[in-house]
Amino acid sequence: MSQPALTVPAPGQAAGRSRRLLEIAGAAAIAATYVFLVLTQPADIANGPASFSALVALGGFLLGAVLLIIAVLPVLPTSTLVLIPVALVLNVVLGQLMGSTGLPFYIDAIGTVLIGVLAGPAAGAATGALSSIVWSFFNPTVLPFAAGAALIGFLAGLAARGGLFRRFYLAPIAGFVTGILAGVVSAPIAAFVFGGTSGLGTGAIVSAFRAMGDTLLAAITKQALISDPMDKAIVFTIAALLAYALPRRTTYQFPFVRRFRVLAGKAPSAPDA
Amino acid sequence: MTLRLHPFTALTAAVCAAVVTTAAASWPFSVAVALAAVLLAVRSGVAGRVLAAAAVIVVPLCLSLLVLHGLFFPEGHTVLAQWGPARVTAEGLAFALELGTRTTACVLVFLLFSFTVSVPDLLSALADRRIAPQFGFVLASTLTLLPAVAGRLDRIRQAQETRGMVVRGGLLSRLGTLRLQMVPLVLALMDDAGSRAQALDARGFGNPGPRTSYRDVADPPAQRRFRAAALVLTAAAVVARLVASWPGGAGS
Amino acid sequence: MTAATRTALRARVDAFTFHGESHPALRDAALSVTPGSLTAVLGGSGSGKSTLGKLLAGWLRAGHAGQFRGSLELFGTRLDFHGAPEDPRINPAEWSRRVAFVPQDAAAMLSTVRATVAEELAFGLENRATPRADMLRAVERTAARTGLSGLLDRDPATLSGGELRRLAVGCAVIAEPDILVLDEPLASLDAAGAAQIAALVRSLCGNGTGVVLLSQAADRLAGEATHWTVLDGGTVTAAGTPAQLTGSAELEHVGVLAPGSPASGAGLVAAPGFSAVSPGAAALELCRVGFGYGRPSRRRPDPPPVPRPIQVLRDVDFAVRPGEIVAVTGPNGAGKSTLLRHFNGLLRPSAGDVRVCGRSIAGVPVGTVAASVGLLFQHPRDQLFERTVLREAAFGLRQLFGKADAEDRARAALAAVGLPAAAEALHPAELSSSRQRLLALATVLAREPAVLALDEPTVGLDRHGLERLGKAVAAAAARGTAVVMVTHDLNYARATAHRILELDAGSLREI
Repeated sequence: MSQPALTVPAPGQAAGRSRRLLEIAGAAAIAATYVFLVLTQPADIANGPASFSALVALGGFLLGAVLLIIAVLPVLPTSTLVLIPVALVLNVVLGQLMGSTGLPFYIDAIGTVLIGVLAGPAAGAATGALSSIVWSFFNPTVLPFAAGAALIGFLAGLAARGGLFRRFYLAPIAGFVTGILAGVVSAPIAAFVFGGTSGLGTGAIVSAFRAMGDTLLAAITKQALISDPMDKAIVFTIAALLAYALPRRTTYQFPFVRRFRVLAGKAPSAPDA
Repeated sequence: MTLRLHPFTALTAAVCAAVVTTAAASWPFSVAVALAAVLLAVRSGVAGRVLAAAAVIVVPLCLSLLVLHGLFFPEGHTVLAQWGPARVTAEGLAFALELGTRTTACVLVFLLFSFTVSVPDLLSALADRRIAPQFGFVLASTLTLLPAVAGRLDRIRQAQETRGMVVRGGLLSRLGTLRLQMVPLVLALMDDAGSRAQALDARGFGNPGPRTSYRDVADPPAQRRFRAAALVLTAAAVVARLVASWPGGAGS
Repeated sequence: MTAATRTALRARVDAFTFHGESHPALRDAALSVTPGSLTAVLGGSGSGKSTLGKLLAGWLRAGHAGQFRGSLELFGTRLDFHGAPEDPRINPAEWSRRVAFVPQDAAAMLSTVRATVAEELAFGLENRATPRADMLRAVERTAARTGLSGLLDRDPATLSGGELRRLAVGCAVIAEPDILVLDEPLASLDAAGAAQIAALVRSLCGNGTGVVLLSQAADRLAGEATHWTVLDGGTVTAAGTPAQLTGSAELEHVGVLAPGSPASGAGLVAAPGFSAVSPGAAALELCRVGFGYGRPSRRRPDPPPVPRPIQVLRDVDFAVRPGEIVAVTGPNGAGKSTLLRHFNGLLRPSAGDVRVCGRSIAGVPVGTVAASVGLLFQHPRDQLFERTVLREAAFGLRQLFGKADAEDRARAALAAVGLPAAAEALHPAELSSSRQRLLALATVLAREPAVLALDEPTVGLDRHGLERLGKAVAAAAARGTAVVMVTHDLNYARATAHRILELDAGSLREI
């Protein structure tokens, strides 16, 4: 009677390669879709509601997000996986609380950024994409932005890996840059799927640019460049504050934090032999 | 007649309806789809919740579409009214109408799906199809966690008030009280998540390989055929739209 | 017979250190478990029992959770760990199939993604691709053993504490493990629930499972064990049979609650004599207070599992004088916590008036009343949010006493509850649960309120904690604070309070 082994071997390299391919394919899908949309944006949208661009944007971005999820999800350790619902809940709760203060920001990506900081870029990307998918059960208009949300988580992880969270003043800068990239990538979705508005405030800015004669995509990209960087800078700051408010034992349980010295502070000395 | 829909059938129907609506690009079609969704919601008894949730999402969107495209649409030629830089154009209004109805139809269809689907059945169906259980876990765990968090936040707020936190108006004070509530919440959630991860690993959640399902979800062949047909139809509609509107081709 | 006495699990821990810490959580501990036996590991709060239990069951694994040096031997398979990357990596699912663990917080065991009790029980089997017919049989069998047969269709989120504990044990035993480790299985259960769990443990031992009990109290169930191991500060200080260790010095030193009723016995500070001639007005007064929850919501089609009394408080007249200690007891769900929440305005009475130091608090925000009324909640974690213990105690003191005084008063409060100066820089979440409760008490005491209200203060405290609680409360009463304590522990109430009241059917009466 052979028993299943009580121990597992160390993870191999071959499995890693197919994962890496899927990740690259997902990222490539998103990038290619964006470039295609920019090159082929309908010059005259007066002739129809941009169905072609909407289908391409939805198809390409969602395909990219799904490929990323398929690549990353099965290899996430359980300790990271259980944090994704927590991140989503934080996104929602903090977004609503901040909304009640009346500031003109969304602030709905704090959980995603926190996971990116603690568990790495891959986990951050998966968290962003999954958050959009699960949240679409309550508000379907969030679903098309899955790729943008994944990008935010991914860049947060990269910033953490590069040590940008060791100093407080670097985190908002990382957020600023992330906001620029995420806003630009999400602009085609906002333009072609939703016609350019997600609320009255942003609509006003887009109106201003449209009044100057810009194409819809250009106007929305400019609006995103105005509001997204500030928003993401605040999100990154709050996530950094939260990460530092947690006790050492909680944050150092993540191999990513330990390996790349994500958080400032003396790393605890090795225990005595 | 209550038909027990396999969750994938409902999901396929919702996705196909949304995609076809997007491909069709005709507002009468979108309105028809929206009405059909409302009718089905009434039949399933969730009309109240679906309409309430949809209103919260759709009304601000449509209003701002109207303002944005009704007043500022440089590509429009047929000007109906003009106040300074704002021009009301027929093309702009038509654009707003098309987009508004399309978004409303898609939102209604997806909300109908998410309010009528039985999440345990969905998880069971995912397990049958060998889709990674992690996805189902995240979905179900979030749906369980969200209602509990509201109660938890309330308890934390009470605890902070007991320690002397007075909620006054004023932005800085509100932000300050946020900090007091957030840290215990995040700490508690992460601690719970940590123990839950250990329990899940111990119960075999991290196992690669197939899983079985305790719950039995029926998948009659009629529904399977319906799903296949719907997917084919949708693909055809998408291809037709892509071909018809390919940039540089005839029309757009 | 050699098979029966063959050791099933033998563990030797040289050192186990969590990632991110520099001191080992466990040092020089060893444990052996034989099938069909009951072993107990006793230790106060923060002694490392849960860590040891999780290590035995594979919930904390070398390399994954921390650095482990020692060895684990399970039915002959021996794994040695040297704290190096090449150490064997335990397969948690397979190991837990042989050695199962039930955590102290039963809800942590649940998957949270299953809608009925039956599915929750079957979750572990589903992950192992068990055929459905086998799963149905296993669920029925386990439900019968743990007394859950009538609850199979219920949503796990609606279960009571005792039912949840039985469900957690059921989830652990459905795979028929050879060894079961239970972390504080009787904590926060009433007498009936505790009796059910104890019977379950005995039947498991009878069936040949080796059960390891982790406990803070040397109660009756622990007394039935064949072997006791005493843990303190992460290391084993004593080991032997119950007969040898009962009443011994090590047990007292470690903070394990003595056998017999949990909170009575030596070490409690008797309530100081309270003179009948009390100075001045009552510190807290409830005048004909009535409170009830509204009509049950019409939205929910299915009736709630426990019928809620509509009128929780009826015409309650209650006064506490400065320096007096009053205990309020009563059956679960009678509304004792509701009563406490009226003291500082978290709940407003539908009839009658609440007066603190002679002034009514109607319309005064809770945060302002908090200067006079300090309330300690059942779950201290909800109240702690600062980064260090000292900042936690000093919170809000600057506004009350001025900057210079604030830190001194904070330190004095920490000393009053027995938290050492060395703990000042720790993160509150890193304290043991007993100390967290004491820290929450310190934050309340530091503000020097006129009224102190405590909700179930004894839950989760070990013997040291109980002593410190008693001392701090007595000192506060001597200073003139009026103390109201809600507790279901009648012995503790008798030992420490001047007056004992019972809340029953909405009204208070003295006993």
